[in-house]
Amino acid sequence: MNDTKLMTSRQALTAVLADELAASTDTMFLGETVRGLGAAGVASGLYDRFGPEQVIETPVSENAIFGAVLGLAIAGMRPIVEIYSADFLLAVANEVVNDIAKWRHQQTRPEQLAITIRGCMGANGGLGPEHSQSMEPYLHHAPGLTIVVPGTPADCAGLLRAAIRSPDPVIVLEHRRVYELEGEVRQDPDFVVGIGEAEIVRSGGDITIVAWGWMRHEAELAADELASRGISAELIDPRTIRPMDWDAIRHSVGKTGRLLVVEESPITGSVAGEIITRVVEEAGHPVPRVARVVMADVIHPYSATMEAEILPGADDVVAAATRLC
Amino acid sequence: MQIPLETAISLYRTMLVSRGFDERCAELLARGEPVPHFHSGVGQEALMVGAVAPLRPDDQILYTHRGYGHLLAKGVPLHEIALDTFMKSGGTNEGFGGVMHVNRLDLGVPGREGVFGTRFGIAAGLALACQRRALDQVVVCFYGEAAGARGALYEAMNMAVLWRLPLVFVAENNGWSFSSRTEWLFPEGRMSRVWRGFEIPVEVIDGNDLEAVYGEISTAVERARSGQGPSVVEGLTYRVDPHIWWDDAAYQPTPEIEQWRASDPVARTRERLLATGASVERVAATERDAEEVVADAFARVAAAVDADWPTASLHR
Repeated sequence: MNDTKLMTSRQALTAVLADELAASTDTMFLGETVRGLGAAGVASGLYDRFGPEQVIETPVSENAIFGAVLGLAIAGMRPIVEIYSADFLLAVANEVVNDIAKWRHQQTRPEQLAITIRGCMGANGGLGPEHSQSMEPYLHHAPGLTIVVPGTPADCAGLLRAAIRSPDPVIVLEHRRVYELEGEVRQDPDFVVGIGEAEIVRSGGDITIVAWGWMRHEAELAADELASRGISAELIDPRTIRPMDWDAIRHSVGKTGRLLVVEESPITGSVAGEIITRVVEEAGHPVPRVARVVMADVIHPYSATMEAEILPGADDVVAAATRLC
Repeated sequence: MQIPLETAISLYRTMLVSRGFDERCAELLARGEPVPHFHSGVGQEALMVGAVAPLRPDDQILYTHRGYGHLLAKGVPLHEIALDTFMKSGGTNEGFGGVMHVNRLDLGVPGREGVFGTRFGIAAGLALACQRRALDQVVVCFYGEAAGARGALYEAMNMAVLWRLPLVFVAENNGWSFSSRTEWLFPEGRMSRVWRGFEIPVEVIDGNDLEAVYGEISTAVERARSGQGPSVVEGLTYRVDPHIWWDDAAYQPTPEIEQWRASDPVARTRERLLATGASVERVAATERDAEEVVADAFARVAAAVDADWPTASLHR
């Protein structure tokens, strides 16, 4: 089936959750307020359709929720847990990093530990420093975790379905600004986007730009502007942060000789730092020219006006790319 | 609750195996040989073994780091525990988790968390899975003073009561949390006091009395199995040995230790067996049998090869 439908990312996520809950009673959805809309509206209608057997409204008890999700997965279920804001994954870093990520390595490695952790993240106009962070830099350090950041409605559908069906624990980080984006989404009930597969959003020969989540869209605007200035940018959305599609990035940089990574994150410890380091380490001569467009080491202000000043945007990407070329 | 004689002899044997392993490990340590992550359970055998004994093979346990009686009583062979302890091949986790992560999912031992406290949520999740699948299985979650002070227990207890989960929480009050007295950590020195507010059964028992433990846990397990929800049993016992091998336990008063040695659960169980009809010969044969199990486990360790660590990245 190659039918597509125009959907928002939010609608696409809800539809995939409904499909997967319908497909198996072993699939469960847990979280705070999920009997209503959930944190970002993604849970809408699921409790009414699937009831308390599969949609579990939990107390605001993240540590026990995430422990319970691990217990459910050990028992062979396929729990999907919503974190109210992905920033709160720091409250359950112990469960996520010390237990879920390590479980199959230190025990007898059951074939599946099918946990999907999903939630909203990212700056969206003055939510403040503990409801705006990008969480992939905090989490990508931990061996044993898979992390995806969909930037489009189609990728929301394809990556969430891949996450739910994966035998591994997968974290799906949904940028708040992506929820309202509209796009065509394949209606094939088995449509998945492969975990670890980057998308070449546009091809170009002068510079490789790597961007994901909301930054992918800022980078697309920038690529248009660069094209009008005679700079041909190749835009790669890795979509999966861990495991990163190193081949796609390596191949592109081999062609362009320049790498710009755009990330909505403070510079220190950014994923961009890891990407650039790997590419430079593994490159022959000449060493590619590299730069990153990220945030300074600041926290998000509650003022939306001030927040806009600290976030990377298309103009910053254009300026950085122009300097590299 | 009087335990049927054959069952009681079997439990006595398991307690002896647990004691024998601890004593043998202590001997190795005294000779300066390493016993990685060893935490002696000497003095706590009745609580560990007696609380697992009423369970069915398909029931599940979350165990503590102290003592190996829970695992033995659930059917994990001692030699697998020993092989894991000494990072040898042939145990349950091939050196990846050592004795801290012994697991046999097929025996109802799914494994253990890395930082004490996650187990309460895990137990709730396992129990929720049983409930969702309409299985009449029960999950028993053991914990000591350290894990029992962590917030996840309060969260999981609330969920267990809210959802009437088939869960039994067993608090092992052994007097000490490393060098901190239980009295310094919990009101009235009782780990279960706070749970009275949930209006669920909360019982405090003599944890060195095998029959008391067996009886109280049997009641709690049957309650959980019949859909009536969780209970808490706090067993009062005592950590006779130091916390861990490098601990000199100078903070633990000798008279206190001696006082508890006088109510040693192994000796008490032996006396009770003889008083309830077991012959001296039968008891002696059980003791020889347990010694052989311990000797066999160490012989297997001596003959085993080291677990083989992969050098490749754990993750793509």
